[in-house]
Amino acid sequence: MIRSATLLLIASPALADPPAAPRFAEETATSGVESRFTGDWDYMVGGGGAGFDCSGDGLPDLFLAGGAGPAGLWRNLSEPGGPLRFEPVADGPAMKAVTGAYPLDIDGDGITDLAVLRVGENLLLRGLGDCRFERANEAWGFDGGDGWTTAFAATWEPGNDWPTLAFGNYVDRREEAFPWGSCTENPLFRPVAGGGYAAPLMLEPAHCPLSMLFSDWDRSGRRDLRVSNDREYFKGGQEQLWRMEPGQPPRLYTAEEGWARLRLWGMGIASADITGDGYPDFYLTSMADNRLQTFPPDSGPGRPRYSDIAGRLGVTAHRPFTGDDVRPSTAWHPQFEDVNNDGRLDLFVAKGNVDKMPDFAERDPNNLLVQQEDGRFAEMADSAGVASMEIARGALVLDLNADGLTDLVVVNRRTPAQIWRNVTDGAGNWLAVALHQEGGNRDAIGSWIELRDAAGTQRREVLIGGGHVSGQLVPWHFGLGTATEAEVRVIWPDGSEGDWQRLEAGRLHRITR
Amino acid sequence: MGFAAKGSITRRALLATGAAGLLIGAGAGRAQAATDPARDIIIPWYRLILELVRHTPTYSPPVASRAFAWLGITCHEAMAATRPGLQPLASQLRGVGAGPPADHACDPGAVLQGAMALAVPHFFGNTGPTGQRAMAAMDRRIHAAATDGLSAETATASITLGQAIARHVIAASASDGGDPVLNMGFPQDWPRRDAPDAWVPTSGIALQQAPLLPDWHKNRPFALPPGEFCALPVPPPYSDDPASEFQREMREVYEVSKALTEEQKIIARFWSDDPMLSPTPPGHWVWILLDIAERDALPADRLAEGLALLGIAIADGFIACWQQKYHHDYIRPVTAIRRAVDPAWEPLLITPPFPEYPSGHSTQSGAAAAVLIHLFGEDFAFEDATHVDDGLPVRSFTGFREAASEAAISRLYGGIHFRTAIEQGLDQGYCVGAHVTALRTRA
Repeated sequence: MIRSATLLLIASPALADPPAAPRFAEETATSGVESRFTGDWDYMVGGGGAGFDCSGDGLPDLFLAGGAGPAGLWRNLSEPGGPLRFEPVADGPAMKAVTGAYPLDIDGDGITDLAVLRVGENLLLRGLGDCRFERANEAWGFDGGDGWTTAFAATWEPGNDWPTLAFGNYVDRREEAFPWGSCTENPLFRPVAGGGYAAPLMLEPAHCPLSMLFSDWDRSGRRDLRVSNDREYFKGGQEQLWRMEPGQPPRLYTAEEGWARLRLWGMGIASADITGDGYPDFYLTSMADNRLQTFPPDSGPGRPRYSDIAGRLGVTAHRPFTGDDVRPSTAWHPQFEDVNNDGRLDLFVAKGNVDKMPDFAERDPNNLLVQQEDGRFAEMADSAGVASMEIARGALVLDLNADGLTDLVVVNRRTPAQIWRNVTDGAGNWLAVALHQEGGNRDAIGSWIELRDAAGTQRREVLIGGGHVSGQLVPWHFGLGTATEAEVRVIWPDGSEGDWQRLEAGRLHRITR
Repeated sequence: MGFAAKGSITRRALLATGAAGLLIGAGAGRAQAATDPARDIIIPWYRLILELVRHTPTYSPPVASRAFAWLGITCHEAMAATRPGLQPLASQLRGVGAGPPADHACDPGAVLQGAMALAVPHFFGNTGPTGQRAMAAMDRRIHAAATDGLSAETATASITLGQAIARHVIAASASDGGDPVLNMGFPQDWPRRDAPDAWVPTSGIALQQAPLLPDWHKNRPFALPPGEFCALPVPPPYSDDPASEFQREMREVYEVSKALTEEQKIIARFWSDDPMLSPTPPGHWVWILLDIAERDALPADRLAEGLALLGIAIADGFIACWQQKYHHDYIRPVTAIRRAVDPAWEPLLITPPFPEYPSGHSTQSGAAAAVLIHLFGEDFAFEDATHVDDGLPVRSFTGFREAASEAAISRLYGGIHFRTAIEQGLDQGYCVGAHVTALRTRA
């Protein structure tokens, strides 16, 4: 049933119009956001942020990592469709040593909490409303450890009201002369009855992940943990896919099951159904060797055998596309979003040298790869105005001013975080979907949202994780091209299928189970 | 018999001749030695160098071989500057010339530390922030140990002499053609030869659509005479005739791949030595020598001359091999087999991004074996634990020739070379090695 949906991608009125060229206006200086990710060796990776509504006004607020300096929380004051404006939240979380953060409602109270990743003790911050937070490690039985945390993902396993939390830790930062091969343990926290967490179990072997996410990659209804690891530091390691059976220890998929050994400088994961076959494709960032993995038609459930289509679709992004620096690129946060609302997902990739590595480009512009009608992607970062040469790490692509266009926030190493307003002329129509259900998993993480119109079917898997230490919990954005309405349904985390609903363009729709 | 005399010496003779203070342990076990501070400076630096090779992206095998050569020479020259009876190599090597005069009043360990603390950061200047941090940490640790107990005057004079030796080596290296390496060694463009036997890219990685280091053979060798590349016969001509030698060799690779035993798979992976995932093929042989040095408590002067000759042999081996690779520009098995036999065929190993003939691992392993046989003899059993950290087993060999032959045939098991490239590669390596073992390291 899923694969037949591919056939819906046929010529349509929406696809007949040329897509609008995306255009962004940088508003860093006037936005009120002043943040930079600082620090030396301990902060050569990391540098992310979280986008979510902590104030309750419907607009995403921002929590940005500061590395050796303080993190910061900014309240969104933007007017709908207007310039991006923020103010710092007085007495907001401003701890140091933060590498990144992911928003999620851990305790199911309807207020978004924060998982804060750090060099040192990780923190779970309980949201109290009005952008106030309190430390919840002790109350929730969460041991924040003392690692160098560089990846995070969360899922609600069947029967649980609290999420399962996976943390990815990097090398032993106290090893000076021989840090290679010193990848530290990756803890997996499963909830206990009544809420809170027991001692974690360790995902061994650990191979220094820089990104992880739970995904129902084979549409089996089970959400396994995909981990992208940095080969700079592991020995005997590779990319990993952990099979997650409820109540059972996770186990790695094997070569016999089809999981091919792949060793990258894994830095970030973006997930979306790009090929339209109903299954998520995975974009993996690395150094000079980014991959777009797709699930071949002859694979089957439980057979994670992927092929790389980055070259065919034009998303290798392996060296700077502009400027005079032709050395290979270093890619970090990837994210699929539709930036011009033409109904096709585009790809943003944050780029930046690790730290003056002369083998790699020092002036390494970010990529904005815009999907074309034929499914290939075209580089438009320069013309769109987001080809920053700063040393980028994490990013957020989200609608900050409720105008139906996804804006952009990029966290840079040592230099100020940048923020752009999407001002694309002639962008297509859009709609946004926010999910709600009763119980612990109030944001229905693990759902699939399907949207169909004359142009075909779009699907997004609702997840928390991936990217490069950056996460957002905001309504899911869909471009519609010229369509003025679309049919939408939700496949909820337990697999039950909601009815198709006809939704009008140009607004946010809240779908409650 | 002197260690550097022509011909080989056995391990027993080796240990008996220069090993003052050595106490041989029982059986084939680890020997114990009175402390040799100079050796204890070389080994940790080299353990770090092996990591830097693995973790510096530009360090493909040819680039790694060059670093091993210059750093080995640095070690030997440092030892020769302080210990009587050693013959400096500098004036015997092309484009180097005599270095700073010896000063036997200096402390060998401190001279080594002065030299390595300068030379290692130079040859790994483009490593990442972790490598830079590790080199600084190593420098601090070793410096403290190397100068412990020395008078301030001796420590200063020794460190200064070591630095002068390193500067001399670095200056000579500047003109060898091996630096800088741009774009990880891949040219922006590559004019493909339009012929059925021509190499074509074998991976989808964008950077590798041109072959690795096509001009590497223009580098100045260390010991090979001008124009000498130990040239090889032409490989079997490309042919579609099922009875042809080309087809026979192609089918052999394909059929072997379909019936690989577990042992053959282990051998292929053991010698795979992928850049950025291992210390590379040159580092594999350096690892072997370091393990022997630790096992047998080799005196520092013997370890240093071993590292120098081994580095030179491997480096010249790659120069010679690359000259032949780009002279013949030969097709890889994966290309030929997918074209003629099985479009879906996948070799066990990742096919390296450059022409096939001869096999680089075979050439450099032959060269390495020639040097190590020269130093230790034909029957010199050792264990190879290079890849233990990566989960591969320890392998045992009765001698270096056996190990080199296994390294060579591993490329057939891995599906990345034809048999002719393997056999001829080994021959080329032994030829290169003969030039290197003619160098004199002892007065």
